[in-house]
Amino acid sequence: MTAPRQVEPAEDAYREELAFLAAYDSGPRPPGWRLTPRAVVTFVMGSGDVLVLPKGVSVDGVPSRLVISTKFVGERALVERAVVTLAGERGLLLVGEPGTAKSMLSELLAAAVSGSSQLVVQGTAGTTEDQLRYGWNYALLLAEGPSPRALVPSPVLTAMRGGGVVRVEEVTRCLPEVQDALVSILSDRRIAVPELSAPELSGPDGATVHAAPGFTVIATANLRDRGVSEMSAALKRRFNFEAVGPIGDLAAETALVRRQASAALERVSAPFAVDDVVLEVLVTAFRDLRNGISEEGWAVERPSTVMSTAEAVSVATSLGLADAYFPGDRDPLSLLPGHLLGVVRKDDPGDAARLLGYWDGAVRRRAESGARTWRRLWELRDVLDA
Amino acid sequence: MTSSTRDLVDRLAEHDTPHLIGVRHHSPALAAVVPTLLEAFAPEVLLVELPEESGRWLPFLADPDLVAPVALSGASPDGDLAFYPFADFSPELAAIRWAHRNGVEVRPCDLPLAVRGDGRRGERQGASPLTDALRRATTGRDGDDLWDRLVEAAAPGQTAEAVRRAALLVGWALRQDAEGAGVDPFDLRREAWMRRAVRRTDGRRTAAVIGSFHAAALLDGPVDDSSPGDTDVVTSLVPYGFALLDERSGYPAGIRDPEWQQAVLEAAGDPGAVEAAAASVIVRICARVRELGHPAGPGEAREALRLAVDLARLRGLPAPGRGEVVEAVQTVLTHAEPLGRGRVVARAAGDVLVGHRTGVLAPGTPRSGLAPAVEALLASLRLPGPDSREREPVSLRLDPLRSELDTWREVALRRLAVLGVTYAEETATTGVGGGDALTTRWTVAWTPATAATLPVAGLWGATLELAASGRLRARRAEREQKGGHTPTAVLADLVDAALCGLPESVDTLLADAATVLPSAGTLRELLSALDLLDRLRAGHLPGTPGDVLDGHPTLARELETAAVAQLDGLAGSEDVADARALVELVQRHEVHGLRLEACLRRLADEGAPLIAGAAGAARVLLGSVPPSALGERVASWVDGAGTPERRDVLRRGLTGVLAAAGPLLETPEALSPLLDRVEGLADRDFLDRLPALRGAFTSVGPAARARVLAVVEQRTGERVDGHGTPDPELLAVWLDAERAGVDALRAHGLLTERPARSVGKMPESPVAAVSVSGALPVGVRWRLVLGLYGERPAGAARYAAALDELYGRDRGEGALRGDLGADRSSPFPDVREWSEELRDLFGDHVREEVLAAAAEGGRLEAALEIDPGSVRPSVELLRNVLSLAGGLSESALARLRPLVARLVRELTAQLANRVRPALTGMQLPMPTRRPGGRLDLPRTLRANLATARRDADGRVVVVPERPVFRTRGRRASDWRLVLVVDVSGSMEASTVWSALTASVFAGVPALSTHFLAFSTEVVDLTERVADPLSLLLEVRVGGGTHIAGALRHARSLVAVPERTMVVLVSDFEEGGPVGPLVGQVRELVASGVTVLGCASLDDRGVARYSTSVAGALVAAGMPVAALSPQALARWVGEKVRG
Repeated sequence: MTAPRQVEPAEDAYREELAFLAAYDSGPRPPGWRLTPRAVVTFVMGSGDVLVLPKGVSVDGVPSRLVISTKFVGERALVERAVVTLAGERGLLLVGEPGTAKSMLSELLAAAVSGSSQLVVQGTAGTTEDQLRYGWNYALLLAEGPSPRALVPSPVLTAMRGGGVVRVEEVTRCLPEVQDALVSILSDRRIAVPELSAPELSGPDGATVHAAPGFTVIATANLRDRGVSEMSAALKRRFNFEAVGPIGDLAAETALVRRQASAALERVSAPFAVDDVVLEVLVTAFRDLRNGISEEGWAVERPSTVMSTAEAVSVATSLGLADAYFPGDRDPLSLLPGHLLGVVRKDDPGDAARLLGYWDGAVRRRAESGARTWRRLWELRDVLDA
Repeated sequence: MTSSTRDLVDRLAEHDTPHLIGVRHHSPALAAVVPTLLEAFAPEVLLVELPEESGRWLPFLADPDLVAPVALSGASPDGDLAFYPFADFSPELAAIRWAHRNGVEVRPCDLPLAVRGDGRRGERQGASPLTDALRRATTGRDGDDLWDRLVEAAAPGQTAEAVRRAALLVGWALRQDAEGAGVDPFDLRREAWMRRAVRRTDGRRTAAVIGSFHAAALLDGPVDDSSPGDTDVVTSLVPYGFALLDERSGYPAGIRDPEWQQAVLEAAGDPGAVEAAAASVIVRICARVRELGHPAGPGEAREALRLAVDLARLRGLPAPGRGEVVEAVQTVLTHAEPLGRGRVVARAAGDVLVGHRTGVLAPGTPRSGLAPAVEALLASLRLPGPDSREREPVSLRLDPLRSELDTWREVALRRLAVLGVTYAEETATTGVGGGDALTTRWTVAWTPATAATLPVAGLWGATLELAASGRLRARRAEREQKGGHTPTAVLADLVDAALCGLPESVDTLLADAATVLPSAGTLRELLSALDLLDRLRAGHLPGTPGDVLDGHPTLARELETAAVAQLDGLAGSEDVADARALVELVQRHEVHGLRLEACLRRLADEGAPLIAGAAGAARVLLGSVPPSALGERVASWVDGAGTPERRDVLRRGLTGVLAAAGPLLETPEALSPLLDRVEGLADRDFLDRLPALRGAFTSVGPAARARVLAVVEQRTGERVDGHGTPDPELLAVWLDAERAGVDALRAHGLLTERPARSVGKMPESPVAAVSVSGALPVGVRWRLVLGLYGERPAGAARYAAALDELYGRDRGEGALRGDLGADRSSPFPDVREWSEELRDLFGDHVREEVLAAAAEGGRLEAALEIDPGSVRPSVELLRNVLSLAGGLSESALARLRPLVARLVRELTAQLANRVRPALTGMQLPMPTRRPGGRLDLPRTLRANLATARRDADGRVVVVPERPVFRTRGRRASDWRLVLVVDVSGSMEASTVWSALTASVFAGVPALSTHFLAFSTEVVDLTERVADPLSLLLEVRVGGGTHIAGALRHARSLVAVPERTMVVLVSDFEEGGPVGPLVGQVRELVASGVTVLGCASLDDRGVARYSTSVAGALVAAGMPVAALSPQALARWVGEKVRG
């Protein structure tokens, strides 16, 4: 029994589903893959109906009937394209606004394709080439000189050796010269280690590490980081791009927000007691401000802040926690304008004005059309213009 | 597929009275198999789903010499219309051609146009369980086209019969779902008619090529046996083009990507051939992208094809369909940049997939289409036509709001004008009182040019109405292809569409306006759109009923909201028109809201004086502050106006307040503090402020001034120009004596009291109207401030004359009346004399201000009077002088040069002192403990000496517990700074500051500075950047704004993107579409260039700019700020030093 973890990695959380799908679809697999491409799509999108193992197949510890849960809410075609890209051993770059589940999607794909989502490089301004190629144990290096023992492999190098999927998160946050280390890896599919080129030092592979079949890279990039360190054209040409958009459907997004906020409250064993009406109002407001157009088709001026689903979840969680720890203090709806203002007013002071504009427009119109919750929100407008 | 479904489809497929071939109007899969299917069934009669009236065209349609695409259209007299474009991949055309080859009779079987009536009712959304189920089973994309997935994409490699069955299945499923909500009665009527056509085949062997939706209805059901009445329906067969056939062109009954469909048809159902077609299309798209200047090599093409083929395999399709190809191209080529690269790829894909084929009719096809239709229409409207004897142009005066005939004539003439047909020309008319005219005047003549241009216009449609709306649609599609709509273009089209009486086009354009205007419109464009909406609603535009607005109930409100959002960008404005726009917006009573209040409060507190004044006045109009508060604010400007700068604030601020003059006058308490001040000031102080006050009041026009005068008269209770004013000569003597006395007192230090008081006591009120504090009576003062040109109040005639020279030229309401009888002769023979008079009357410091104001107003000689040696250098003055330089001859310029040279020299020196410190210093590699750069061996050894020891062999070993590294050093040299400066407006302070700043940057060795001035053209002034004088004299202001073009040029200057800064100084009121602008910015950002947008570059830090466009640029990665030159230098320094 391992110690309890705050977050389970995908391959552990869905161990049963992965094993089931491996047994369920025995079709041809790309080299190095644990599942068939079709099964990977099913794993990510969910099966909907109950799947039954084919006759005569049984694996220990795997049930013969299973419903694969839906993990990613979005377009199926996008996942199909992503899977086909990976099946071609080409780099996959997922771009999108913050909070659109890019990282989750990359984790799920890595877990389904190569059985591990743990080979990951987190891109920051401080990421160095060592983390993409290899580093050294400097104490050993100085004491013994270069040797395979002193070499510290990066997650990328490990994935190349094992033919797995490596994830590079927020690749556009790395400095351009560091990013470009990926160019040669993706085109040559090998890393030369010149320090080990002396014949007595190189191991069985020689001084070069070659990628095993199945090796590929999933990178994620944030649209809001554009311009921080933009990728070079050479690197871009080595990736297939997929833009992950926000969730298209109000009901699906509300359900997702509810599910995730409830999960957060479950950990402290408190019930999630925020009304569905409040949640729907919250998600609607987020969607209106994010899309620049309301559900009814009215134009809304977009704030420069990201209005992601993840932010909506955190607001919903805050509302739930406030209700759990300070029960009966105030109704969640009255806290909503303050939370919205907190989300919106991050860097541009003009955003607060845009929120006022939203209140003048959509909120007021809905209030006038008689929706009770919106009327209440309109009454709470003074919170905003303080 | 459940068994019951299969049974039903079997029933449809096996039915043979008639044999059913369910199709869609454009379908390469079906078009390829129709000949085979017909061959197999061998019918004696072929029914096709075309209206009865189209029968006469069928032989011409089947003619082997006809080249598709062509279009068959029909219109009944009440304008109801059917439109059938045909391409090679239209199954109907394939069937008609087969029948013609095999001598089989073809009969149209659809409802005649004559009895169609109102046609289809609105779309009705019902539940669609069946199609949803089918869709889930086949596709991954949202909103996917079921037909495309199940019939088209699945067809390659299938037998003809299998394709027919798939088509019947989809049609049946769609129909089943439609029945849930009730099938449209119009469709039911058509089907009854089709059954009648089937019955009339009298049992001969019949095949029916009909919409697959209708297939099931032909099995059984009631038969329409009525006989159609005799109505004259006009049908026509005209050549058509792929560009119009593409669904996105906005023409009805189109299909996406006709060139791709053609390629699929030619592949004739062979999966290998379809794959080859995909390969060819992808390669051509890549080539086109390269032609457009973006990288896309064979590597990408190969990957895109692999992706398309593998996607098709994953989805169980025999060959990639249109969807797979488009998805693959998007994933591989667009780099998830919908605006920059995405647009390029979309354009390339459009060029390749849409194609440019055009059709040709077979020789001998009768003449039809627009020209005959227009000739008939003109005859019925009794307008000159080809047969009329009148050869001379006819003058017409139309009154469309009174006479119905005139309405139709007006609309017809407008439509011809939109089509570019040379026929009628409008003569300008003005309504009573300068308002909108309700009648129009035209000169009309039928000329050979008319006959020549009509057939050209015929491409857009077969009737005048269709052609006009087609032309507008084409303009719209053209814009979309060129990069997007611009507010100006949408507004212009909207006016055209409304005048042409095309409610549907108006509807579309209103929808465009709803998306474009809020996101890119300037305040003035928004207001003119609102004005247009008002006119539409009032029904002032003949032919377009006011109810077109019903479809856009929130548009007006959205525009108002957007206008409110634009207000933030006005903070730095110095344009009276902006102040008026602000007031106009506030006066639209619907717009009140939290945001407006907050915004006005901010503008009133932080905006530039003019806009602060207008915002203050607007707040009074809204009732959010009492009028007296505004009054006190204005009065405080008067009090503080002791220096030239403060007097400028007074003039601009008061101008802003007076932009709301009309309504404000109804609340006199807002004005009374100002009135108190004007009356209470000492003479000297009043005279100092007089030019500023007069300048402000001049902005409102004589009529409004007369009203202010009336308020003043009411206040003082007497006519200010009444008799009894003191004798002017006497007054002058008093004044002189009094000033001399005061000066003497002051010289001896005897003056302890405030001079104003002591002065005030001296003339012991000889007349009641003399103010308590000064010698100039209240009435005279007001005459001086408000007087009409040429009015010389007794006792102050010289002051009035001196100011008339500057402010005498009135504009605006009542200006014309001022002309009558007034003395228009200039009181001064030349400027020198005027300037001396100014010095005598007002003193040196005020004189300079007045002369500068005169220079601003276009009086060049005034600028020449300013003494270069003694003038106080200010950017304002430099700007005013420079704004004249544009229109100067070289000799005049030579006289102005010393002044400009001195101003520039002094200002540059001042600026350089402030800016240089920010630009010095650079960074060397530093030691650090963070692993990153190279290992710093000497430092590491030194840091770890304590761990040194001998190992067994006696060698010294150091255990490096704490390694030391070197940070990456950055080269601080060789940075390139590109200043891109908008000179489209007037000579803005920002332009002057940009040139000065550029010259300072040019002196920094680590930077190479480029200077681009742009309006619609870009001028590279880099070689003059070190010499701000010649730089400034070289800049020519004026023209439109095309920021995207300027940035494109700036991009060509980028050599090393990582060490290039592009600084754009502009008000962001882009004249072109916003899309390409954002694309250019993205390109720059994507290539690694450091970009910055300056909404203004001056020492105030508030700017006037379009917030919506600036917002879009911020989203594209260009930060936008209002900066001072020092702040810019600091920013540049930070970037260079890293």
